[in-house]
Amino acid sequence: MSSISSPSVRGAQAAPGQGIGLYLAIGCLVAVLGFALPFVGLPKNLLALLTSASISAILATAVGFLVRQAGLSSFGHAAFYGGAAYAIALLVKYTSLPAEVVVLAAPLLIVGLGVVVSLILLRTNGIAFSMLSLAMAQAVYELVMKWRDLANGEDGLRIRFAREIFGLKLSFFQKADTMFLVTWAVLVVVIAILVLVSRSNFGTLTIAIKNNEERARFLGYRTLWPRVVILALSALIAALGGTLFALYNGYVTPSLLHWTLSGEALIIAIIGGTRSVWAPAVGAFVFVILRDVAGNYTTHWQSIVGLVLIAVVLTLPNGIGGALTAFTNRFGGRQNG
Amino acid sequence: MLIQILNGLVYGGMLYIVSVGLVLIFGLRRVVNFAHGGLYMLGAYIGFAAGLYFGFWGGLVVALVLMALLGVLLDYGVFRPLQDKDHMTTVLVTFGILLVMEDMVHMIWGADTISVAMPALFDGTVDISGSPFPIYRLLVIAVAIVVVLGLTLWLRHSRAGLYVRASSVDALTTGMQGVDTERLSLAVVGLGTALAGLSGVIASPLMALSPAMGSSVLIESFIVVVIGGLGSFSGAFFAALVIGQVHNLGIVYLPNVSSMLPLLLMVVVLILKPSGFARSH
Repeated sequence: MSSISSPSVRGAQAAPGQGIGLYLAIGCLVAVLGFALPFVGLPKNLLALLTSASISAILATAVGFLVRQAGLSSFGHAAFYGGAAYAIALLVKYTSLPAEVVVLAAPLLIVGLGVVVSLILLRTNGIAFSMLSLAMAQAVYELVMKWRDLANGEDGLRIRFAREIFGLKLSFFQKADTMFLVTWAVLVVVIAILVLVSRSNFGTLTIAIKNNEERARFLGYRTLWPRVVILALSALIAALGGTLFALYNGYVTPSLLHWTLSGEALIIAIIGGTRSVWAPAVGAFVFVILRDVAGNYTTHWQSIVGLVLIAVVLTLPNGIGGALTAFTNRFGGRQNG
Repeated sequence: MLIQILNGLVYGGMLYIVSVGLVLIFGLRRVVNFAHGGLYMLGAYIGFAAGLYFGFWGGLVVALVLMALLGVLLDYGVFRPLQDKDHMTTVLVTFGILLVMEDMVHMIWGADTISVAMPALFDGTVDISGSPFPIYRLLVIAVAIVVVLGLTLWLRHSRAGLYVRASSVDALTTGMQGVDTERLSLAVVGLGTALAGLSGVIASPLMALSPAMGSSVLIESFIVVVIGGLGSFSGAFFAALVIGQVHNLGIVYLPNVSSMLPLLLMVVVLILKPSGFARSH
C-alpha cells in the first residue's frame, strides 16, 4: 500500500533492540546540542527564527502524530493551536486568574473541547474527517472575526500578562535567547513522550485500528476510545504550541486560527514524513528556515510550497524523515528501514 | 421574511452548484477535490477578465469553456494517474494545486478585491411583498433551478447519466459491464469544474473577487456534501437548500455566531445519521 498516511506495520514495529541504540544516541545528542544553541553566539534574529521553528515543530508533531497513529489528516489543528492562544488572551482579559493558572488551564480547556469534537468527527471516515476538521476550524476563525466585542475581530488582542510567571520575569518568555530553551525543552519532552506512546501496546493497538478497524474490533478491542485518546493527545500538543506562541509573542490574531495555518502544519508534517514521530519536527525546521531564506528572493513562497508538497507526496512518501532513516540505516549497517 | 428566504435561496443555489460539482467528481473518482474552491475562484476571475472584452455573458461562456478544459486536464493529469494510490494522496495533491492556483491568481490580478458590475439587463429591482429585490438575485435562483433540472434530467433519463449513476455506486463493476469509465470521468470532472466556474462567475456581482474567496465556499460546500451523504446528488440538493437558509438567517438574526450554525447543524446530522441525509454505499 503506497500511502503517505500509513507507515507500514514493519516501520511501526521496527525491531525493538536492534539498531535502536543508534537512534537513541542521535536523538539524545540532538536534544542536548539544541540546548547549547543560545550560548554559542548565534545572531539574535536566527535565534528568534529557531524559536518560532520549534513552536511550529510542536504543532507539526501533533498533526503528524495523528496521521501516523490514526491515519487521519487534520486540516483543522489551527483550532486547537490558535484556540489555546485565544483562550489565554480571553482568560487574561475577562478574569483575574493568576497567569500561571491561565497558562495551564488553556491547553486543558482545549483538550476538553478536543474530546467532544473528536467524539463527533470520529463518527466519519478518513476523507470526511479531513473535510469536517477544516469546516470546524474555519467556523471558529469566522466566530472570532465576526464577534468583535468578544475578541476584537481581525485586529487581535494584546495579552497583558503579569510581570512574573512561574517566578520568572515575563521578558524571560518573550526574548528568543531564553524562550528558545523553553520551546526546545517542550519539543524534546513531547517527542520523547510520543515515541514512548507509539512504542507501547496502546500505540500498536491504534496502528492496528488504523490499518483495519473491523479486524481490531473482531479481535475484541474497542476501537472508538483509542482513536479519541490519540486525537485528544494530538490536540493537547497543538494547544501547547499555541500556549507557547501566546507567551512568546504576547498577542493573538485570527491568523492563528486560519485554515492556512492548519494546512501549513499538515504540509510540514507530510514533507517531514509521518512514518516517524520526530520527522515532522525536522520538517518544521527545514520549512521555517527555507521560508525565511526564500523570502529574500521571491514572493511566490506559496507556489513553491504547493509544488514541493505535490513532489514529496508523489516521489518521497516517507518525507525527509524517511530519507534520513534510510541514510542512517546504511550508515549504521542495518538492512532496510 | 419572504425576502430573507429568497436571499437564502440565492446562497443555497450557488452552494448547490459548487457542491454538486464536488459530488460528481467524488462519484466517479472517489476523491475529494480540495482544489474545488480554487476552481470556483479561478472561474470568477476568468469570467471577470474575459468580461472586460466580451461583456458579462461572453465572459461567462469563456469561463465555462476554459474551466471545462481545465477539468478534463485535471482528470487526465491528476486523478487518473493517482487513482490506485491512497485517497489521502489525491487530497494532498489537490491541496497543493489549490495553493499554486491561489498564488497565480494573486500574481496576475493582485490581492485587492475586485468588484464586478451586474449585467445591465438585470441591474434593476422588482417589488416583492412591498420591498425591492434585485432582479439579478432572482436570476441566480433561476440559474440554480436550471442546473438542478438539467442535471436531474441528464442523470435520470440519458444513457450517460445512467453510467454516471452506476459508476458512482461501483465504478469497477460499471467498467466490467463495458462502460468506458475513464472517458466518462473526463467528461464528468470537466462538467464538475465547469459548474464550479459557473458558480464563481454568477456569484461575482454579488460578492467581491479576491484570491481567498474560494476557501469559504469550499468549507460550506464540504458541510453540504457531508450532510447530504458523500456522493449523493439529491442529498446535496436538500443540504444546500437548508444550509443556504441557515447561513442567511444566521447572518440576519445572529450575526456574531452565524458561522457556527451550519456547523452545529452538521453536528446534529452526524449524531443522528452518521452517513448523512441520503445514505450512499
